[in-house]
Amino acid sequence: MAPYFARAAESLVSDALEGFARAHPGLVEHVPEGGFVRALHTSPARRVGLLSGGGSGHEPLHIGFVGAGMLDAACPGMVFSSPHNRQVFTASMAVAREDGVLHLVKNYTGDKINFGIAAERLADEGIAVARVLVDDDVASESEDIAVGRRGTGGAVLVEKILGAAADEGTGLLDLADLGTRLAGRCRSIAVASAAHTAPGDGARAFDIPVGQLEFGVGIHGERANRTVVQEPLDSLLDTMAESLLGSLPLERGESVIGLVNGLGAVTGLELYAIARELGRVLDTNGVELRRSLVGHYVTALDMRGFSLTLLSADDAVVNWFDAPAQTAAWCR
Amino acid sequence: MTSSTVFDRAFTDAWIRRFAASVAATQQELTALDQAAGDGDFGSNLGSGLTSSLRLLDEAPDGDPADASVPLTVTATAFLDSVGGTSGPMFGLLFQRMATAVQEAGPALTTAALSTGTRDGLEVIQRVGEATEGDKTLVDALAPAAEALGGCAADVLPDAALALAAEGAWVGVRNTALLRARRGRASYIGDRASGVPDPGAVGIGLLFASARGGVSELRPLLAELPPHEPV
Repeated sequence: MAPYFARAAESLVSDALEGFARAHPGLVEHVPEGGFVRALHTSPARRVGLLSGGGSGHEPLHIGFVGAGMLDAACPGMVFSSPHNRQVFTASMAVAREDGVLHLVKNYTGDKINFGIAAERLADEGIAVARVLVDDDVASESEDIAVGRRGTGGAVLVEKILGAAADEGTGLLDLADLGTRLAGRCRSIAVASAAHTAPGDGARAFDIPVGQLEFGVGIHGERANRTVVQEPLDSLLDTMAESLLGSLPLERGESVIGLVNGLGAVTGLELYAIARELGRVLDTNGVELRRSLVGHYVTALDMRGFSLTLLSADDAVVNWFDAPAQTAAWCR
Repeated sequence: MTSSTVFDRAFTDAWIRRFAASVAATQQELTALDQAAGDGDFGSNLGSGLTSSLRLLDEAPDGDPADASVPLTVTATAFLDSVGGTSGPMFGLLFQRMATAVQEAGPALTTAALSTGTRDGLEVIQRVGEATEGDKTLVDALAPAAEALGGCAADVLPDAALALAAEGAWVGVRNTALLRARRGRASYIGDRASGVPDPGAVGIGLLFASARGGVSELRPLLAELPPHEPV
């Protein structure tokens, strides 16, 4: 067991937020009493404030994507816990523009309820508010799971594209429609060979025997619904990509944006090898990989694993993806 | 109380204070109920919300003593801003909608405003929580309370109407003990929560019963709930 590098587990989130703001003074401002991080510079053409949030432990999500061209603000909760509705309400009041505020919410019950309570309070204040629910994780796709697919890596792509669309002066309802269409055409799948360790004592959340993988993990350190033998990477990618292509579904000739995302403790070396296999599988299936992101974007503390995300992308989506953005973690 | 009661700020202020006393006096029962089906923090969340609410009430600036909405607004803010978890802030939404309805009809509390506010509160809580009746949540107590208020004739005074709402809410509370949770934290343990009333629903029952009764009158109501052993 290796303890975290922290003054104390209890202060890790607030210390990190303070450090984040100190590290990016030209980009963001941390408002500790309101419980949010906001962008210092965003496009004057925006008519809608873009806000996201969720539990901490997924860095750089969401704070790393606050800035010009992406989010106006993010509300971090404690590790793997929803932000309080007060944070969402206060941040929304701070960043709402003439056409209101759009909440980008990953599909978890606690996040939905806290953003929902804040939305009702905003409506009570006369602020227009809409929501885009990101629910991309195919592993949680089942008729038995009434709450639907979880929101994972797709959040980054949705934040980028909606940010670019918002910068064109798109109105609230059109942005919400676009976001819902994007979320509907975005799927992710993740595997892990080791669970995350707890910020308190560094203990592993659960054990995975050597040579096995949890297939279909989420981003909160929960076990997947199945454990599989770890195949060589090329076979593993065949299986993972098949689940994404089947769920979207994607036909030969269509094009995508791909995200190869580390969950915390996988190496950059491996991520690029994974990117190679993803490119190969898409070539084989006749799907064009228009753009790629490879790196740590949506982590699960120090889980040793990775996720793949595919977003069906036409020219307009690719153009929004390519539009300039300046945030702590968006680097293209 | 008699028909000469004035339904002003002092009335709603006293209602909130009796609710706080009821929750303080039943904290152990609420915690035991929540430990049987959830994480056991509901009693203390409700208690801390009411503690903040009483502090804000004591600090609230003097205003129109006829304006019955002030204590409801103050309590809404306390619950929405300072209570953790999700059930506590749901109470905040109910108080907020009640306050809005009273403001619009005001300045005094009327049965019609209570009915509108409770119905609107129920609607917003259902929308946010995606819960319907039968899901074993506070909705199971709030829905019959709203129905009772909605059925009151125009000449029923607010205190009598609230007593009817409390009766409806308690029927709902008893029903939750028979239900299997489909929403909220209790849903994770499935059938193990059967036989235990939902603590959020009990909180709603206490709220309406506190409009007229004190803690001593609430004790028998709690005592008649089905037995609940922590699992």
